[in-house]
Amino acid sequence: MFKYIIKRIVNYVIMLFVAVSMTYFLASAFMDPRSNYMSRNPHPPIESINRSLDLANINDQTPVVIRYFRWLKGILTQWNWGLSPDQSPVAPAIASRISASLQLVTLATVLSILFGVSIGVYTAIRQYKWQDRVLNTTATFFLVVPAAVMGLMVVLLAINFNNIVGSRAFYVTGLHSYQGSNPVLWVFDYLQHLILPTIVMTIPGMVGYHLTQRTYLLDTMNADYVRTARAKGLTLNAAIRRHALRTSLIPTAVDVAFSIAGVFTGAVITENVFAINGLGMYFTQTIANNDINGAVAVAAFGGVCTLTGALLADIFSAWLDPRIRLS
Amino acid sequence: MMNDNENMVSDAVAQDMELTDPQGSEPQSADAKNAQEASSNDDFHRTGRMQLYVRRFMRRPSAVVGLVVLILLILLAIFGSKFSQWSYDEPDFAALASPPSAQHWLGTTVGGSDMYAMIIRGLGRSLTIGIFSSFGTTIIAALVGTAVAFFEGWFEKVGMWLLDMLLVVPSFLLIALIVGMAAGGSDWLWLAIGLTAFGWVGYARTLRTLTLSLRDREYIRAAKFMGVPSFTIIVRHLVPNLGSVLVINTVLGVIGAVNSETSLSFLGLGIKAPDTSLGTLLNAGQSVVQTSPWVLVFPSVVLIVLTFSVQLIGDGLRDAIDPYSRSGGKAE
Repeated sequence: MFKYIIKRIVNYVIMLFVAVSMTYFLASAFMDPRSNYMSRNPHPPIESINRSLDLANINDQTPVVIRYFRWLKGILTQWNWGLSPDQSPVAPAIASRISASLQLVTLATVLSILFGVSIGVYTAIRQYKWQDRVLNTTATFFLVVPAAVMGLMVVLLAINFNNIVGSRAFYVTGLHSYQGSNPVLWVFDYLQHLILPTIVMTIPGMVGYHLTQRTYLLDTMNADYVRTARAKGLTLNAAIRRHALRTSLIPTAVDVAFSIAGVFTGAVITENVFAINGLGMYFTQTIANNDINGAVAVAAFGGVCTLTGALLADIFSAWLDPRIRLS
Repeated sequence: MMNDNENMVSDAVAQDMELTDPQGSEPQSADAKNAQEASSNDDFHRTGRMQLYVRRFMRRPSAVVGLVVLILLILLAIFGSKFSQWSYDEPDFAALASPPSAQHWLGTTVGGSDMYAMIIRGLGRSLTIGIFSSFGTTIIAALVGTAVAFFEGWFEKVGMWLLDMLLVVPSFLLIALIVGMAAGGSDWLWLAIGLTAFGWVGYARTLRTLTLSLRDREYIRAAKFMGVPSFTIIVRHLVPNLGSVLVINTVLGVIGAVNSETSLSFLGLGIKAPDTSLGTLLNAGQSVVQTSPWVLVFPSVVLIVLTFSVQLIGDGLRDAIDPYSRSGGKAE
């Protein structure tokens, strides 16, 4: 087991290195930080543009290979992820935004697993009854609604609700606005901000877990060992809970592990809709501003999340599922 | 040789479907059909299979509704601009941000553009991008996925490693990069190309898993030993045998592509003015959500109707043609 995990980790580190390097070259090829300066009218003198670009190591007149090795050296020796075109360092900018994204995503992930798996089990047991049909149709509907539409519709409803009630029950921008020092009011204000983005992010995750958990449980419910359990005299509920449900949770656990990748990509739209200054919003800003170092650093962080999820999925399935051989 | 193979497989598929789907379909009529198939010539085989698919599809009211709605949307996207006197790139400066009226059926944006004309244009863009990149994605994924599984050995190992590696980079960034360098006016094409170029990876992995069970079948081995070139085996034998999965995923892939297009355009990284798409309209509507909500509501409704109708069609197709589907139901 230990050897297996080490092997996976080494593989993933190499994979991450290749992927991030590839991203660096692609970003350097397609992004044009010089245009940030040239589009100003009148544009600053060419020498000063070159000086700024050189300082950030994003000058397109330096060969990209030289820039790449400089960039790599900075990361490996000093953990320095480079500078944005406006000369602000990238690494602290990302570090300060991870917390906002994390607050947003953690609650939504936990809620979507809880609700999704419960509803999945509930509907699987009642296959083709009206509860199953209604919940399934609803889930399918929410599964296909684009994230931006969902977010904006929730914002629209919340604003109308605020107008009808006549006070600000929900906030639709940011995570905090309370300035005082009363902790109770602070928490209350925080929840008023957090509830809408959480709803927007919970629903797609929830319906995903619901539909997959339903399929997994239906697959195992008709297995021989569940029939054996029934034949031994267990009630239907006990047989499902002890035998079918346990097996069907294995693939769900793997899905949950993979959802760690979503910690950062899943929030891009929601953060932009609700003006929350997290990683997703930073990512769109780096792309819009031709910030090569920033975009690559966010991509690298996303890659680390994805591969951590993949590693957890490997461990989960090796640990939970006796059918997987480690050789 | 080729024909025999196909018919053999299609018969097997048809039988499989009857086995996995004993209640949802009509066993008697299917039996009668098999008997009829056995006694008739090759042409009848094919029409018989298609008839079976069509009948199964039509049996689901929701699938038929989805199909009708989608056809209406496509017609609207093609001919809708004929009904309105306004064009999407012709702002009416006398009516800025005006609510829906007889003059402007769905209102106007802050810049005075007619919402009806903009939505027709955007719907056309979203549909084109969705269909184009869904087809492209399926073709690339089918070829790569089956090839990786077919060649086995080190080719498979390296191929899988590369696919996993491509999944590590956020495709969102790569697509945005490609679209960003597109010159004005052609960005919808680049967006479709970007969605195709980076959207196939996960799908190819799934298809590779499905191919694993195909590559050891007798007809594949027979073809190999007869000296049929590898590429021919892949294109003639492996890909057609994944046909049902490919058809379903092409249809459902339209939803994914439309959603990605919407997200990117909404973030300002996709289609930009003067061209428009439903995502671009959402972006415009976001800032005026309180003052002119119609800019936001109408594109949202169109998007929801579009994606949901495609989903209904996809579900109907899955029941009709997927031999692996469990959604047809089980006895008890």
